[in-house]
Amino acid sequence: MRVTQNTTANLVANNLQVIRRRTEELEQQASTGLKVSKPSDDPVTAQQILNLKARIAAGDQYGRNISNGIAWLTMGESAMSEMGNVLTRAKELTLQMVTGTNNPDAVTAGINELTQLKQQFLQMGNTQLNGKFIFGGFKNDTPAFDTTGNFLGTNDAMMVEVDRGAPIQINYSGADLLRGGTPPGSSGTDIVAAFDNLITALGSNDMTTAQNQITELDNGLSQILAFRTDIGARRNRLDAANSVIEDMKFSTTKIMSDKQDIDIMQVISDLSKQETAYQAAIAASAKVSQVSLLDYLT
Amino acid sequence: MSIQSILDIGKSGITAQRLALEVTSENITNVNTPGYSRQTTIFQTSFVTEERGFPLGTGVNVAEIQRAYDDFLQTQLKTEASTTGWSSTVLASMKRAEQLFNEFTADGLGKSMQEFFAAWQDLTANPQGQPERQAVLARAQQVVDQFHRINGYLTDIKREANQSLEGITSDVNESLTRIASLNDQIKLIEIRGARANELRDQRDLLVRQLSEKVGITYLEQTDGTLNVSLSLGPPLVLGNKAAELSLEPDAANNGYYKIFATSPGDNTAVDISSIVGGPNNSQGRMGGTLQVRDSLVNGFLSDLDELASSLATEVNSLHSAGFGLNSSTGLDFFTAPTVTSGYSGIGGIQLAISKTADIAAASVDPVTGGTGNNLNSRAIASVYDKVLATSGGNMTMEAFYNALVGKVGVAVQDAQRSSDLSEGIIKQLDTLRESQSGVSLDEELANLIKYQKAYEGAAKLVNVGTEMLDTILGLIR
Repeated sequence: MRVTQNTTANLVANNLQVIRRRTEELEQQASTGLKVSKPSDDPVTAQQILNLKARIAAGDQYGRNISNGIAWLTMGESAMSEMGNVLTRAKELTLQMVTGTNNPDAVTAGINELTQLKQQFLQMGNTQLNGKFIFGGFKNDTPAFDTTGNFLGTNDAMMVEVDRGAPIQINYSGADLLRGGTPPGSSGTDIVAAFDNLITALGSNDMTTAQNQITELDNGLSQILAFRTDIGARRNRLDAANSVIEDMKFSTTKIMSDKQDIDIMQVISDLSKQETAYQAAIAASAKVSQVSLLDYLT
Repeated sequence: MSIQSILDIGKSGITAQRLALEVTSENITNVNTPGYSRQTTIFQTSFVTEERGFPLGTGVNVAEIQRAYDDFLQTQLKTEASTTGWSSTVLASMKRAEQLFNEFTADGLGKSMQEFFAAWQDLTANPQGQPERQAVLARAQQVVDQFHRINGYLTDIKREANQSLEGITSDVNESLTRIASLNDQIKLIEIRGARANELRDQRDLLVRQLSEKVGITYLEQTDGTLNVSLSLGPPLVLGNKAAELSLEPDAANNGYYKIFATSPGDNTAVDISSIVGGPNNSQGRMGGTLQVRDSLVNGFLSDLDELASSLATEVNSLHSAGFGLNSSTGLDFFTAPTVTSGYSGIGGIQLAISKTADIAAASVDPVTGGTGNNLNSRAIASVYDKVLATSGGNMTMEAFYNALVGKVGVAVQDAQRSSDLSEGIIKQLDTLRESQSGVSLDEELANLIKYQKAYEGAAKLVNVGTEMLDTILGLIR
């Protein structure tokens, strides 16, 4: 094959071009740290990466929902724990009064304390988180109970998603918890009514009725306890969901990194190889392009 | 043999070698001229006479100045130039489109949609919250802006492709006129038996440049002229007459140009839009431009329109069934799409509500059902995970968008591959052409010395003849 000056010149230009282009690609990879930095680099992988990125972002959102749920449940649990304390104290007090001396002053003091305990109990029913009454259902920006103990909220469930298509209820109905259903007492113990009956009975010195209310207070305690157990179960579900999401995020991030990130050692070493190749190509081209018959003609 | 014939032979040598030296110098000076084909002087002995019973030659003749040329290579180069023109045009446009969908370096529509639905999730956790409601509106506006932005840029790509037809058309017209005029000159020269080597080189180069712009075929006639036609028939150059391409705005296609051709020696312009770039407009820059303008970008646009329309339809149907904080109901969240086509652009998708209180997070009127009702916002948040019937099969909006990103990537990759391939082929063909027709300075310099020495020799011959004549003339004295 004939080789002309132009053949050589074109070859030199093409070779340098090829090396420059490859170097630029590697430089781009080294500076971004990404193997795939635009869809055309690898359309299939690019789609997978986008999908993985979306999974991670969704995981973040579910994480936020979970921590929101945990806040609601924690608040609910501390309220119920306090309700338990109030009921225990009310029970103690009642036991003292139905078995102890019938000193009128002591009875008056007892009734006063019971009235306070009832208010405290209702206060717990009006527990707030970020200005929301957590036992009020959907009507949660106004108190769930009035001062006499009427439930003003709704029995609706506040659900949040803790994973795709997996909602979890983060609230409890104040009516179920404090009054045993709607209407009061229909599905459980009406604790507020127990307080009212107790106070009325003690006021009229009706110790038999007062005695009977001890059972009601006991039932109330079990009712609160049952709800607390349920909170525990839900907390477990949230914690489990959270660790699933964390695991998912971890493994997804790892897969994404495999698909998307460069092996920096490899790239740097390739880059230095390219540099050597470039210098060699330039040096060789300079030599080849200089040789001509003209140099030998006088 | 007479002394006279020595002088004649010497003279024939001097003229022939001088002509060869001229051809060599033409080669040397055109070493870098694009399209130039090396020329070789072909010598032959002059006619033979009989001299005292012996056959003797009468010197040297230049039989021909031959042009190193391979017609088959030229055809391949022309075909490949068509492919290069097409793929480089498509590649440039597709690369620009790709930037719009690059979710790797910048947050695009995909991220905006994600954030939009995340805002609805946040609203579910706190349906009364003003900041959450504000966020829903802000994220929605962002989604709308992204749709408008991408739609706008894609439309720009189409518009610019259309605009570039003006330049290409006038280039084509100029090439056609020049080819026709070269045809005329070549015919005039070759009718006298000479070879119009340089003019043919120029014409070959023009044909190559023309085929990069538009798909053509050509056929050389017996009189040396070249007839050029579009890949699918209509003539562009016939002898010394050239066709003229012209552009007319097409009202049925957004006022984009239709391409017309007025054939040589004809007065009526014919619409050649559908055949100008060869089969399916896949040849030359003109074909590539038409493909970008009329099909490739439209494919992306229609996907984008479909996405915008599904988003609005799905969100609207849930939103209008819900209730705002102020008891408002029946409100669309986005403007309702009447037709899908063009919905992603300005004048299409738009926020239909502006008050945060109008956001329907509740499934029943909050005045009676409580402002904490989050059922509707939950339903809307889950639209993102809902599998919808789309033109690409059953998939979520996110998957549909990712598939669109993939499509753009594939389009770029296809164009890139075709462009790399034809670039490689052109390089190889160029090397072949160079090895066949290129000028080698070393070779020419060697020839230069060869012819120079032959010239000197022939001159010496004349000298010897003169001396012999002098000797004879001296006898008479």
